[in-house]
Amino acid sequence: MVRERYFQQLDLLKKCVLSFGELAELIFRDSMSSVIDLDISLAEKTLALEFEADKLEGRIEASVFDLLALQQPMASDLRLVVSTLKISADLRRVVGLSMNIAKIPGRMEGGHVKPLIDTGKMANIVAFMLENSLRAFETQDAQLAREVAARDEEVDKLFYAVWVELIEMMAKDTSIISRATNLLFLIRYLERIADHCCNICESVVYLVTAKKVTLN
Amino acid sequence: MTEAVQNVSQSQIEVENLNLWYGEKQALKNISMQISKNSVTALIGPSGCGKSTFIRCLNRMNDLIKNCRIEGRVLIEGKDIYGPDVDAVDLRKNVGMVFQKPNPFPMSIYDNIAYGPRIHGANKKDLDGIVEQALRSAAIWEETSDRLKSPALSLSGGQQQRLCIARTLAVKPRIILFDEPTSALDPISTSRIEELIMNLKKDYTIVIVTHNMQQAARISDYTGFFLMGELIEFGQTRQIFHNPQERSTEDYITGRFG
Repeated sequence: MVRERYFQQLDLLKKCVLSFGELAELIFRDSMSSVIDLDISLAEKTLALEFEADKLEGRIEASVFDLLALQQPMASDLRLVVSTLKISADLRRVVGLSMNIAKIPGRMEGGHVKPLIDTGKMANIVAFMLENSLRAFETQDAQLAREVAARDEEVDKLFYAVWVELIEMMAKDTSIISRATNLLFLIRYLERIADHCCNICESVVYLVTAKKVTLN
Repeated sequence: MTEAVQNVSQSQIEVENLNLWYGEKQALKNISMQISKNSVTALIGPSGCGKSTFIRCLNRMNDLIKNCRIEGRVLIEGKDIYGPDVDAVDLRKNVGMVFQKPNPFPMSIYDNIAYGPRIHGANKKDLDGIVEQALRSAAIWEETSDRLKSPALSLSGGQQQRLCIARTLAVKPRIILFDEPTSALDPISTSRIEELIMNLKKDYTIVIVTHNMQQAARISDYTGFFLMGELIEFGQTRQIFHNPQERSTEDYITGRFG
């Protein structure tokens, strides 16, 4: 290999994105657990991790700019560099939305207005999507990326079902509006995170095939 | 891009099953390629891959090499340039060439440009106009208009190269071949020549051999990748540098060779 240092930089960039992905997964899972169990101490621990995410995002951006300015990557290398920048932005949004989720337990005095069954299902699908969109990136598997993105439809259906249910509950009992609204926000955040997973899947398909696709 | 695609139908150069040997060694293997009018085609590949040999087939520069044998056809505007009735000097008037190292004649700036037109019988009273026009087209008129009688060798390297381009333009070719025209120049002179090449394609068809991949990516409409005498991949530059179809093209342009 003639460009040893360059290939190491590319490899490092990829690893950095995967680390960011692992951190985003951890933050997402813990933020969901903190809401389901209304565990304020776990929520606070999760909120403290935002700073780590910013650091990783900054490292990825710096590395991308260095590679573009100093190495002029071409062909699949160029697609990798561009994709990592986009995936990193999506992961940062996943972290941001998870932060919003982790803020909910602090506002939920009086407990949940209903058991979080469908919301739990949504969270499980979203966790699957996040994990596997990153695996698709790691293994450059466009087929897996497409399969992962296809699950967004289930998330959207559950979102709508829970939405309607909560609105009906609030219409019947106005005393729960504040707590129910927090749940509305929660399912909205979940639905948005699923969309960002779809974006990651689109970046993977682009990375592998050089084709721009819309998957959600 | 659309314009470039449409131009495919108007091939100005058609190469069919071109094979070339230097003695026993085969340097080009069955090359077929169509080069469209008013486009820039870049040829890339490692040293010794045959790209310079190939470009020299387009104006029969290889005729001058001993033991060089050629099979196949090269059609320019439909006419086989290796046909029996083709005069190589006439051909080279139509297919100009600019080399890696600027090679002005040891005479004045003016005479460098006037040299070709004079040989081809230009009228003396037209010469001033031809010289000015050629220098203007090669974007070097501003720098030379007040010193046309100065020796061409007193110009800087980058200016000498533009002078050589002007000298080529002066005989009104239809095709210009560039063999690594900027590899001896600094970045600013390189940018000037690149800009010039992109402007010249309005009036000329351009084929350029370059070792500078970013240069090929910047200035060409089509790119051909040569390896060990074969044309591995030929297509739109955007495609070649974004998503090449052949593994070896990908390996070469991303630096994974060797």
